[in-house]
Amino acid sequence: MKSAAINTRSLQERAVRLTLSLPVQVTLYTSVCTLTLWTLYFSSYPPVHDTLHEVRHHTLMVGCH
Amino acid sequence: MLTLKSCAPSLVLSTLGLMGWANHSFAAAQPRVQLTTTPPMEQVVPGKQPVKLMFQVLDEQGKQVQKAKIHLQISTPSKTPWFTSDFPIVEGTQLLDLEAIASSGQLEVQQVLPIRGNYQLIVEVQPLDGKAFPATQQTLTVSVPEKPVKYINFGILAVVLLGVGLGGGWVLGEAQKTLPGEIAPERVRLLLSGAILVAIASLLVVNIQAELAESHQHSHHAHDDHTPAVESPSSVLQAKWLGDDQVTVGKLAQIGVQLSDRTTGKPVTDAVLQVKAIQNEHHETVFVYQGVPDATGKLTWQQQFFDGAPHTVQVEVSPKAGANRQFSPFQVSQEIEVAAVAPPLHVRLITLAYMTSILGLGLGLGIKVRRSPQFSLFGKQPETQEL
Repeated sequence: MKSAAINTRSLQERAVRLTLSLPVQVTLYTSVCTLTLWTLYFSSYPPVHDTLHEVRHHTLMVGCH
Repeated sequence: MLTLKSCAPSLVLSTLGLMGWANHSFAAAQPRVQLTTTPPMEQVVPGKQPVKLMFQVLDEQGKQVQKAKIHLQISTPSKTPWFTSDFPIVEGTQLLDLEAIASSGQLEVQQVLPIRGNYQLIVEVQPLDGKAFPATQQTLTVSVPEKPVKYINFGILAVVLLGVGLGGGWVLGEAQKTLPGEIAPERVRLLLSGAILVAIASLLVVNIQAELAESHQHSHHAHDDHTPAVESPSSVLQAKWLGDDQVTVGKLAQIGVQLSDRTTGKPVTDAVLQVKAIQNEHHETVFVYQGVPDATGKLTWQQQFFDGAPHTVQVEVSPKAGANRQFSPFQVSQEIEVAAVAPPLHVRLITLAYMTSILGLGLGLGIKVRRSPQFSLFGKQPETQEL
């Protein structure tokens, strides 16, 4: 029982360490920012597209309809 | 071969290079085509105002030839997926295909040039009687500059992305320790919360504005009921719409009107047709052309509607000066549904990769700066002092 509890705790600690490691944090941060960029500049979702239509047409290398 | 000659307010492009065929059985010299654009090409803003393109067919003395048939084809700049324009679907397609009777050896059209780059204009000239002068074909090139505001906006975006990356790198770069009872260090939690908040706020602003703003109507649904052409009444002539009313961006649409006599049913040729294509959402004119019907009473041409929004083509019919048949001018108009096509996924992903790279660069710099010895003093006490 005691050995199993120690193993679970060790696993949790490793998971936390991994989650808080720099590569994972950088990936998470980059992913959130990239998703935001996609939504703003490239999403085909009509409400987003319609609202930012002019911005897209006035930003270099951003294609639109 | 292209010779550029500036003259206010127009730019004159005089093309001497002959790239096509010529009938050498004619004794007369081949005519050449001179193109004049208003405004000058360096002042043209893509996708904005129509550019007046005037083609003059000149003989060797520089005089306009008479009674010519001009076939004009305008091709858009080639595809540039690594540096896309704002209309990637329009790249590498045909914008206009028009055959005109040019009694005075001159053809004038006004056309919005939607994107930056080099447009190819192929002009074929033939004598109406088939023998007055040798037929010729010339290829002209006009270059449209990019909108300056695009560079400014992308520069601002790049600075913002670099700043966001630097900020993220600064926070993430600090050596973190999890205190007992904490799931994540405070700074990391704050950073993640902040990033998620920015994402949520952006999406909120976008969606609220989308609700408030008038929908851009870019998503089109197929209509089963075709909109009939609207014709102003004329007791003398009948105008029949011959063109498409549902078209797609990137493809040429067939547009045309046929005139006939209401009494006899015979085709009418002694009329002038003033054509205007208008983008309905912004009420912007994208194409203007004045032509005369052929022997069958038809005036037809092919054009691309580069913006995926409804358009209206107006054709004003008026009597030719000095013609026997005189009538009150009238107008025919046809609404055209233009189906938008989303930019190719790979084109969007390429630009997204550029943007993410700038962010990544900032992130890397932020981490490096934060972890450099002189900046680590701001974050915590040096080990020597702790000891």
